[in-house]
Amino acid sequence: MTEQHKPVEKTALSLSVNGRQQSIQVEPRTTLLEMLREQLDLTGAKPACERGECGACTVLLDERPVHACHLLAVQVARRNIVTVEGLAERPGFQQIVDAFVARDGGQCGYCTPGFAVAAYACIRDNPGADAQHIRWALVGHICRCNAYDSIVAGVLEALKRVP
Amino acid sequence: MNNPFHSVGQNALRLGLAEKVRGEARYTSDLKRPGLLYGKILRSPHPHARISAIDVSAAQNAPGVHAVLTHLDVPENSIDADLKVLDPVVRFVGDEVAVVAAENPPAAEDALRLIRVEYDILPAVYDAAQALADDAPSVHAEGNLVDGEKLVVSRGDVAAGFAAAARIFTGTFSTQVHGPVGMETRSALAEWDGDRLTVWKTSRSLHTHDRQTLARVLGVPLERVRVICTNMGGGFGNKDEGRLAVLVALLARKAGRPVRLDYGRAEEFLGGRNRQSTRNRIRIGIAEDGAPQAIELTTVMNAGAYVSSGRNVTRRVGQGALYLYTCPHARFEGATVYTNRPAGGSFRGLGAPLGHFALEVLVDQIAESLQVDPLEYRLRFHVPLEGQPGQRVTPPDQMLPDEPVEGGVPFSSNGLRDCLLAGAERIGWREKRRPNGTMDGPRRRGLGLAMGIYKGGVGREAQAEVSLNPTGRVEVRVGIVDVGQGSTTVLAQIAAEVLQVPLDRVDMIMADTALTPPGHITAGSTTTFSSGSAVKLAAQNARNKLSERAAAMMDVTDVVLEEGQFLARNRARPGLSVLQVMEGLPGSSVGRAELKAGSSDYIINSFAAHFVEVEVEMDTGRLRILRYVAAHDSGRIINPRLAENQVSGAVLQFLGIALREELYLDERSGVTLNPSFLEHKSTSIVDFPPVEVIFPAGPDPIGPFGAKALGEPPVVPVLGAVANAVANASGVWLYEAPFTPRRVLQAIHEQGSARS
Ligand code: FES
Ligand code: FES
Repeated sequence: MTEQHKPVEKTALSLSVNGRQQSIQVEPRTTLLEMLREQLDLTGAKPACERGECGACTVLLDERPVHACHLLAVQVARRNIVTVEGLAERPGFQQIVDAFVARDGGQCGYCTPGFAVAAYACIRDNPGADAQHIRWALVGHICRCNAYDSIVAGVLEALKRVP
Repeated sequence: MNNPFHSVGQNALRLGLAEKVRGEARYTSDLKRPGLLYGKILRSPHPHARISAIDVSAAQNAPGVHAVLTHLDVPENSIDADLKVLDPVVRFVGDEVAVVAAENPPAAEDALRLIRVEYDILPAVYDAAQALADDAPSVHAEGNLVDGEKLVVSRGDVAAGFAAAARIFTGTFSTQVHGPVGMETRSALAEWDGDRLTVWKTSRSLHTHDRQTLARVLGVPLERVRVICTNMGGGFGNKDEGRLAVLVALLARKAGRPVRLDYGRAEEFLGGRNRQSTRNRIRIGIAEDGAPQAIELTTVMNAGAYVSSGRNVTRRVGQGALYLYTCPHARFEGATVYTNRPAGGSFRGLGAPLGHFALEVLVDQIAESLQVDPLEYRLRFHVPLEGQPGQRVTPPDQMLPDEPVEGGVPFSSNGLRDCLLAGAERIGWREKRRPNGTMDGPRRRGLGLAMGIYKGGVGREAQAEVSLNPTGRVEVRVGIVDVGQGSTTVLAQIAAEVLQVPLDRVDMIMADTALTPPGHITAGSTTTFSSGSAVKLAAQNARNKLSERAAAMMDVTDVVLEEGQFLARNRARPGLSVLQVMEGLPGSSVGRAELKAGSSDYIINSFAAHFVEVEVEMDTGRLRILRYVAAHDSGRIINPRLAENQVSGAVLQFLGIALREELYLDERSGVTLNPSFLEHKSTSIVDFPPVEVIFPAGPDPIGPFGAKALGEPPVVPVLGAVANAVANASGVWLYEAPFTPRRVLQAIHEQGSARS
């Protein structure tokens, strides 16, 4: 029987989160999302499916959007993570915030930080994107309020505003 | 529309959205308290069983575990009549068996695996019709028919109506299980301070449900229970049941530390509340000229294992059949039936979209058989401003229900005709629509339309407080929850309008039982109407006090308020600005209101007409939505941008439900087969074209600033509109939603030969 509970050994982990070096003890099974939210209290990335199906937990890993729920924390040792809280300190992100607000690109807002991180990467990589391009760039993100038309309008607006 | 207001009717920016985009807004599962423990739930693997033995000793002794609770450890008091805190009988796969609290989520999960449960398996039943049979297993001791009787609502005498009818049309329509699936899963955090309890929870009803339930079940005086919802990640008529909050409070009490428990996604699908399946049989008898003479709708609603708000869901199935068309005789009969499926509950629109599906498709069949354009048929026979024929039943001094049945009562406003005409014009109905089934080729395009009638939002007790502070800020306190629909912004606009202050002067304080007067549940699309009326009245009361103050400051007997300025009666300038008078207040000046919004003279309902263009792939049964126009009468729109977003979102949400969404249950094991986003596909950002939203109707004479309900009405016509468009394109009628390729193809095969 394997029912006897064995305490799980923790692993030391160092990585950069939002530009700051962090050394953290985690259980090997801890996901990046859980570590960010429960150990670093960075709750902008949201859990909504925790199996890579919805985009609510999106963060940047070495500047590329990834699902934080789909990576173990130990997989990102020595890498650079930027969460939505980190983006908020960057130039160019305020325009995205303003554009989302101007075009009402969210209702309950739970999916919104994930969309905002993805929008940031989309705008950076495709400054000439049109509505159709934006939709396909954001296709992995679910918004159950279905504020999609307003989100697309928000990203188009942000494209105009980001220098 | 000419807008005489400065704040109402403006596209004010959604309050709090910037914080949400930046990830700063905290939802329940984002919250932490010192010493926080994490809860997890052990769920039943069996659809129906009695727990004969349960051993938690290994779990209790595991490292990091602080509390374990089973049905043996919880109070006797029930949460609902059919729902205990924990029950020795489990009634669906996913029903709660035990809960644990531990240092971190994995430790809690480990502990669940250490709990030994022995079950005596009981026979299970999944189908509502089978559950009504005499020899069916009883899900609850009182029997499977909820309340022991069917709900019957009627006007006139349908039997006489059918006897006199020239022709009778019938049809049977079914719908499957719909998961509301807010992106935020259910979560609650409980913390005790001595005998005072604070619970943060995903909830759409802190005052009327959670606080009351916690106090009653735990035996704690109401004033020692505080419930807060910081932000809600999607409500959709869901997240109102009480078990979660009680379990977390009990865990926290036992552990002596705060506990937070978050549902995972699969748990949300199983242990949340889904709108269960229905079977709807409809009959319409018409006169020679096509006028409906009798309409009867009979519904069997599967309630799942616990009924929660299921009675209201059933009642709302009948709404369209009872009232959308002028008809002297109408009858609705609804059975709500327990089965061993996951617990049923309410989801946006409750039963209305299901009943409207049956009604609106049968009406198109009538029009087709009369060779009348379905738009013309509706323009002739939709219920007019005067309401239904017949005698008023509600006593004259009593408020009229907003789920109307009786005749002889007019509506306060009725924009059905405006919606029909404006929507038809927008989609090009008269130019483009051809008779049903006259298209050919492998891909066939067609137009469809359906109407909707829905509660206007009356009848909830609402309270509000508006304080004017010497700092120049206005505080509005309302006990309701903004479930994500934007009521914070809309209520702030109403206060700003009355007080003639800029919107950024208004601070909204909501969704905390310690800081707000009692508020109603966020349900029935009632927030703008009920709480909006209360905020308006409270703000007027505050304004009256301010007027007296202004008069005193200006040393006149009477003042008027114009464009943010108090002026002497003779309008001599200069006056004093509202802000100047507020800044001169010795302390806060508070206006209060407590009311039940509604009318004893008029029925207040919202209306809609939806138009859709689809393409049917005849070889594969695949549907493509090409255009969608949603025309709505919700009275005056307080914030058009938010309203458009809400309507567009509701339509897109229900296009997913029309075409695809369905929770499957394996009837041998009772297991829900697709509790994930991958297998239960919600609408994505590339599925449908942008929804064209129009508000062609004028203000309502009763609602606050002329507003009526909006949150749910846009989901009501969707199924019918799509099914009618498919019939127009392909000549094939759809009787079962969702309209998956398999069902469409099957209909083409079955009906194609019959009609060609
Ligand atoms: S929570 Fe990570 S993709 Fe859904
Ligand atoms: S805004 Fe609610 S889920 Fe996207």
